[in-house]
Amino acid sequence: MKLAVERRRATLVLIAPALAILLALNLFPIVYALYISVHYWMLARPQPPRFVGLSNYEQLFFDERFRNAVLVSLKFIALAVGTELLLGFGLAFVFNARLRGMATLRKLTLLPSLVMPLVVGLVWFYMFNENFGIVNWIWVMLGGTRVPFLTQGTLALLSIVATDVWQWTPFVMLVFFAALQALPEYVYEAARIDGLSGSQIFFRVTLPLLRPAILIVLIIRAVDALRSLELVFMMTKGGPAGDTEVLPWYLYTTGFMSLDLGYAAAMAVLMLALVTVLSQLFVRQLESRGATP
Amino acid sequence: MSVALIRNKDVQVSATRSHAAWPIGTLRYLIAATFTGFCLFPFYVIVTTALKAETAIFAWPPVWSFQPTLQSFYNALFVFGGRSAVSYLINSIVISAVSTFLAVALGAMAAYGFARFSFAGKGRLAFWILSTRFAPPVAFIVPIYLMVQKVGLLDSHIALILIYTAMNLSLVIWILRGFFAEIPIEIEEAALVDGYSRLQIFWRVAVPLVRPGIVSAAILSAIFSWNEFLYAMVLTQSRAATLPVYLAGFSNSMGLAWGEYMAAGTMAVLPILVFTFALQKYLVRGLTFGAVK
Repeated sequence: MKLAVERRRATLVLIAPALAILLALNLFPIVYALYISVHYWMLARPQPPRFVGLSNYEQLFFDERFRNAVLVSLKFIALAVGTELLLGFGLAFVFNARLRGMATLRKLTLLPSLVMPLVVGLVWFYMFNENFGIVNWIWVMLGGTRVPFLTQGTLALLSIVATDVWQWTPFVMLVFFAALQALPEYVYEAARIDGLSGSQIFFRVTLPLLRPAILIVLIIRAVDALRSLELVFMMTKGGPAGDTEVLPWYLYTTGFMSLDLGYAAAMAVLMLALVTVLSQLFVRQLESRGATP
Repeated sequence: MSVALIRNKDVQVSATRSHAAWPIGTLRYLIAATFTGFCLFPFYVIVTTALKAETAIFAWPPVWSFQPTLQSFYNALFVFGGRSAVSYLINSIVISAVSTFLAVALGAMAAYGFARFSFAGKGRLAFWILSTRFAPPVAFIVPIYLMVQKVGLLDSHIALILIYTAMNLSLVIWILRGFFAEIPIEIEEAALVDGYSRLQIFWRVAVPLVRPGIVSAAILSAIFSWNEFLYAMVLTQSRAATLPVYLAGFSNSMGLAWGEYMAAGTMAVLPILVFTFALQKYLVRGLTFGAVK
């Protein structure tokens, strides 16, 4: 009896502090965002916020700029994450060999994923420069003429995609590499005994076994790409003419340049809804893999 | 055949020895080395640009051999338009260190609670904590800004410290939960028999046994705090401003102060390079919440 009381007390003491911080800085802000989003709420104005119901959301619905931002974000996520998954998948097979020096190379590829995104934006901004950038120099060496990578619509978005691909392909590769290493050898022996050909083994054995890893890395990358604004901040500021204005950038400028907090909060709420769906998919994936807490 | 060769480890090991397969091994090296080079090249650009004199920075074609100078570092640290990087650097170090300490301390306690005690709603609670990892800062920034403003903590260290603690808690809890669960329960039962209380067992028995997990959770937390941009940008002005805020000032330099900002970028990246090699082993496991080991 005394033991049971002690257990309960210990559980509370251990978990309560972390929980308190998460409730205050994660759950409460979500509720508060909902509250702000139904108000006309301007930053740095003397007038108090005014309740306006759902009009911020209604306004979003007809906002061309918002629609554009959603589209640009979707394009960015699809292109960047798609490329990262394809490249990372292929490279994982390349690195998955017991060859001398391969492990060292693999360790070195880790570095981009840990670098401050703002510095990534800075250095690629420099390399994409029209007048002295190294990317242009290589392009000219190959026989092209100078290209305004960051000031021409589609190219600007593609340049940001390329930068994101540089930073995150190695991470995707490492996840797939770890997943490949964890595949049990006996499955392949069985497949060979059954007389499956190389491509049959790939499509019927390897690919299905890698499905959980593919889903997990897809969700992580999609959510992180959805919220990233450092590259846009550093390289284009959403230009030219909104061609790289991703959703986070529009939200940020609405809140802290136009100072329209109510409208920005409405965007935040929609974004949170989307992220919640994605994170639930992730949780399902983990649960189905037996990661019981 | 080639697919089987690429995937199957047994075949690979013999393939490296057998004569017929050498082109595949060479091809692997070629692709792996090219990819690694691609991953590392921007680091080379950051550091060399920081060491170049101004004329070399703007040179076309790019200059490959030059007389290195520390002028840019000196400027960034001490003279640069009254905006010395030193205080930003100190703020970054203090805020990362304290928030990492808090996240690891509170996270380890909670992780142990989750790994060793059962209570109603535990699974749901643990997965809710996991889902906070996906919280996009840009969707939280409006409510968080108003909260911080209301309690009068704008431009304070403590605000960023608490926010980063909350940001890293899910990571720490989920990494360490796995490590604690792997400790044989008999060790703790023996301590219980010896008259230790539950909390003493946590502190004196369990924590020392999961030291590798604590180290990797701490390094990842420190990197994420160190790199964070949006909260720092919006919530601080000068007194508590961190390195990313300094780097964001590049936009106001009319794109001229490349050397100084690359020098600051070097300072932002170097500590991470050092840490990365320390945590190599658990990185993928940490970044995917144990979904991939």
